[in-house]
Amino acid sequence: MKNDEKKYEDVIKALKGMQQVNAPTNFEADLQRRINQEKFSKKEKKIFWENIFLPSRLIPSLGLVAVAVVMFFVVDTNSEEMDNPFLIEPRVREDVFAVTDFEEVEKKQDELSKQKSLKKEEPAVEMKTNEGQLKSSEDKLVTGREKGEGVEILTDEKDVARDESFATDNFAIADSSVTNVAESPQPTVPAETSSGLVTGQSITKEELNFRQVQLSEKEQKVVNELKNQVQSVERVNKTQK
Amino acid sequence: MDTSSDAGSRSRIKLRELSDEELILEFQKNNTEDAFNILVQRYKNPLTNFVFRFLGDYEACADVVQETMIKVYRYKDAYNSVAKFSTWVYTIAGNLARTEYRRQRRRNIFSISDYGEDHSTYDLPDESSRPDVITDSGIKDEIIQKALGKVKETYREAVILRDIQGLSYEEISEILGVNEGTVKSRINRGRAQLQELLKGIYKE
Repeated sequence: MKNDEKKYEDVIKALKGMQQVNAPTNFEADLQRRINQEKFSKKEKKIFWENIFLPSRLIPSLGLVAVAVVMFFVVDTNSEEMDNPFLIEPRVREDVFAVTDFEEVEKKQDELSKQKSLKKEEPAVEMKTNEGQLKSSEDKLVTGREKGEGVEILTDEKDVARDESFATDNFAIADSSVTNVAESPQPTVPAETSSGLVTGQSITKEELNFRQVQLSEKEQKVVNELKNQVQSVERVNKTQK
Repeated sequence: MDTSSDAGSRSRIKLRELSDEELILEFQKNNTEDAFNILVQRYKNPLTNFVFRFLGDYEACADVVQETMIKVYRYKDAYNSVAKFSTWVYTIAGNLARTEYRRQRRRNIFSISDYGEDHSTYDLPDESSRPDVITDSGIKDEIIQKALGKVKETYREAVILRDIQGLSYEEISEILGVNEGTVKSRINRGRAQLQELLKGIYKE
């Protein structure tokens, strides 16, 4: 430490030899004045609420409120013209589709399905008379399909009956639905889907997309003979096995 | 009237005999303004010298010292009787001086009018100085003050406290809030920088 002081002896001398700088002559008076100012300002300090409700502070804030009110009304009058396009409800095109009540739509669908079923019954009977002579596997398929249709019709009728019972007595709904479930061999289709819109059970022969060819008597005979020949060949093969 | 003024003068005399710590305790407990005034009288010049050597600006220095005294007055209850009053008051003055120095530096950086100018001129406060004295010691002081202003802030403060104010290492470590070893190294580095800057003076 002494070595350091020797090393920097000149610097230390120069620093110690500097003139002493004194405070200004009016230092104490200025200090007293500043202290008194602080005291005075402390005494005059008002409560927070008093400061808020000073008229000098209220005027600008009231002006701001007035401007805000005016702006609100100006914006509000323009709001009718400037509707947000994302909030506007789309127009209903009545010429294409107009739904007033879903019950009406259901009724219409029921009527359509009934009409369809009535139409289907007639060609099915005709088909039976025309194709009664056929004993091939195709016939079996057709008859099977007709059975399916019969079932479908029965379910539709049951639905109608159920609707009627619903109108007469609310308590009867449960009973009829239970009996329907118990009686029907296939799973019942709800009224909304049984209108023949899209169900696997309600597909009719007319809706299938294949070509129907009506054979003449000669052609039918030839076909039958060929079928008999095929069947006989199959029997022979079976017996050989 | 006379008896009351006599009693007042007697009490003032008694107060003058008290140490700094006793005076501040008197001011704390009894709010005796005379005790505070005596402290102001005792410390106004040392503090002015310290702050002026640190800042190099007399007007700013006077403001800082006044602010220091106002803080002492306002926060007298914050003084802890365990510490020395001198270290407490120097700490306050040092903090305020540092803040003022940084503010001045920022002002100089952003001031367009000052750009490129040499900040070498400043007024020494000694109004009673004679012109012949100023020519000799005044110029030397000016050069040293200029060199001090170029020393790093932390080193400068330590050097001023030690070599100009004559405080002990222990007191300086308390004022700066660092250990004595750091104080010594700061002082030595500051001195080294000053020596480098004041080479010309020693030759003369």
